[in-house]
Amino acid sequence: MAEERLMLLKNIRTPDYTGDLKAYRAAGGYTALPKALAMKPAELVELVKASGLRGRGGAGFPTGMKWSFMAKNTGKPNYLICNADESEPGTFKDHLLMMRDPHQFLEGVIIGCYALECHHSYIYVRGESQYAIRNLQAAIDAAYKAGLLGRHVAGTDFELDLTVHPGAGAYICGEETALLDSLEGKRGQPRFKPPFPAVAGYNGCPTSVNNVETLTCLPWIVHNGAEAFKAIGTPNNSGTHLVSISGHVNKPGVYEIEMGVPLRTIIEEFAGGVRNGRKLKAVIPGGCSANVLKAGEVDLPYDFDSLAKAGTMMGSSAIMVFDEDTDMVEVAYRTIKFFNHESCGQCTPCREGTNWLKSMIQEFMDGAGHADLMQRVERVAGNLLGTTICAFGDATGGPMRTFVQKFPEDFRRHMAMAKAS
Amino acid sequence: MARFSDAVMREMNALFRRYPAKVHALLPVLHTVQRENKGYLSRDWVTYVADLCDCTVNHVRGVITFYNMFRTEPPGKYRIRVCTCVPCGLCGGDRLLERLEHKLGIHAGQTTDDGLFSLEESQCLAACDKAPMMQVNEEEPLGPLTADQAERWVSGKRKQPA
Repeated sequence: MAEERLMLLKNIRTPDYTGDLKAYRAAGGYTALPKALAMKPAELVELVKASGLRGRGGAGFPTGMKWSFMAKNTGKPNYLICNADESEPGTFKDHLLMMRDPHQFLEGVIIGCYALECHHSYIYVRGESQYAIRNLQAAIDAAYKAGLLGRHVAGTDFELDLTVHPGAGAYICGEETALLDSLEGKRGQPRFKPPFPAVAGYNGCPTSVNNVETLTCLPWIVHNGAEAFKAIGTPNNSGTHLVSISGHVNKPGVYEIEMGVPLRTIIEEFAGGVRNGRKLKAVIPGGCSANVLKAGEVDLPYDFDSLAKAGTMMGSSAIMVFDEDTDMVEVAYRTIKFFNHESCGQCTPCREGTNWLKSMIQEFMDGAGHADLMQRVERVAGNLLGTTICAFGDATGGPMRTFVQKFPEDFRRHMAMAKAS
Repeated sequence: MARFSDAVMREMNALFRRYPAKVHALLPVLHTVQRENKGYLSRDWVTYVADLCDCTVNHVRGVITFYNMFRTEPPGKYRIRVCTCVPCGLCGGDRLLERLEHKLGIHAGQTTDDGLFSLEESQCLAACDKAPMMQVNEEEPLGPLTADQAERWVSGKRKQPA
């Protein structure tokens, strides 16, 4: 039986672990921090670069490289902003880290801030999760009290303030430049790039936006070194990742798995297989923005590069599993309903395209589909690719086109229904 | 009158000090108004917030209409969200929502006449392992939930003294 490779969830998997400061310290927490503070910030950036750590929020961009793009000697403050918006459908791993082991996450944030010479950092948490915000704020208050935040972090001259910023219900604010606008008290609409946040981000200052899980990897890397991190996983896909599994499986949940474990193993062994003894029909392997895979396509290593090669993506490591009874038109409908609801409305192809696609899929749902309409869905979805300011267009167009291409029989069934009535 | 109490004002001043500009704190300030003012943002509060955050009323209105969580009508005491996004929807989210609509006698997007419950169809709330789920007032989501359990939850709240 496949087992978890515990790095980030080591404490959480320990029975009776409470996650408060005392418990985290007893488990060896906050010992990476003095080690990091004894290094030069630039050395930390090099360490993270050498570890091969890639962003766990969805894009998989190398973290150390992102950090090295930060504009230097600008005379402005640097910012590290933590993206805890976690709103890609199917994803619920960051909540687990923030709720159950908040100090491990905070230690990562503090180390990241030191590396980027940031003295005030913001954690952007989705507003619907007041319970998570409260929990995190309690941990931050405890960290201030213990001298781990504030004027003299861990007794050094490094100064750091940390503020939790609540969102207010908008998926697009998970896009880093929309998040920055939201943090500035605006409507969360993605910005034109360039300039990239590393040059002009929050309040026009050099900024790096990093995901919760990405930052939570830092204490482990500081402790164990870049080579040890790189030794886990597959080449260019270092470390473990927190995989959120949902849908028609026996054991939905978050599992910490070494990069490169086959997707089929994750579904059958970690998640206990398809529930009610049904057969597998399809898998969305990386949140709603990822192209769907058919049951016959899941024999591949689950890492960034293997999924990209298979024409989809690992995204935020959110696996949604569908059994043989699932109507893929319904999956397509729920997907487009989501994207249509969450489009920020600034680019025409996305604002109008998501609306048109929803109407067309609605026609199939009503049993009024036809062959021309299938082609039209493909064409309109194709028009979203590469035509918008942010990746939202691609995230909608790709999956919608793929549903039609891979499951035409499901769409045809909704035409037959039209003929029968 | 639309005005924060001295205690809340102290809280807001501490908040403003954590941002390079007052307007950056607009989202948390609006959340605070909703917390202090029966869960919604009336016209006079919008004007007050614009003044407080050094921005125009138009800017505040633009922000309010952009985000799902800001309301311009009073909601119920218990604001129920039911997710019908991909994993929840395929695990029975629609049925859960329909049964709650029936039980409460309202449609999603409405509030019961007694002001006790609001019901909302929601997109993903990052609790897909609990599918199908519902969330009440931004607290930890409840699930997996059968429609019967959800109905019993409503009955229990109805019986509680106001």
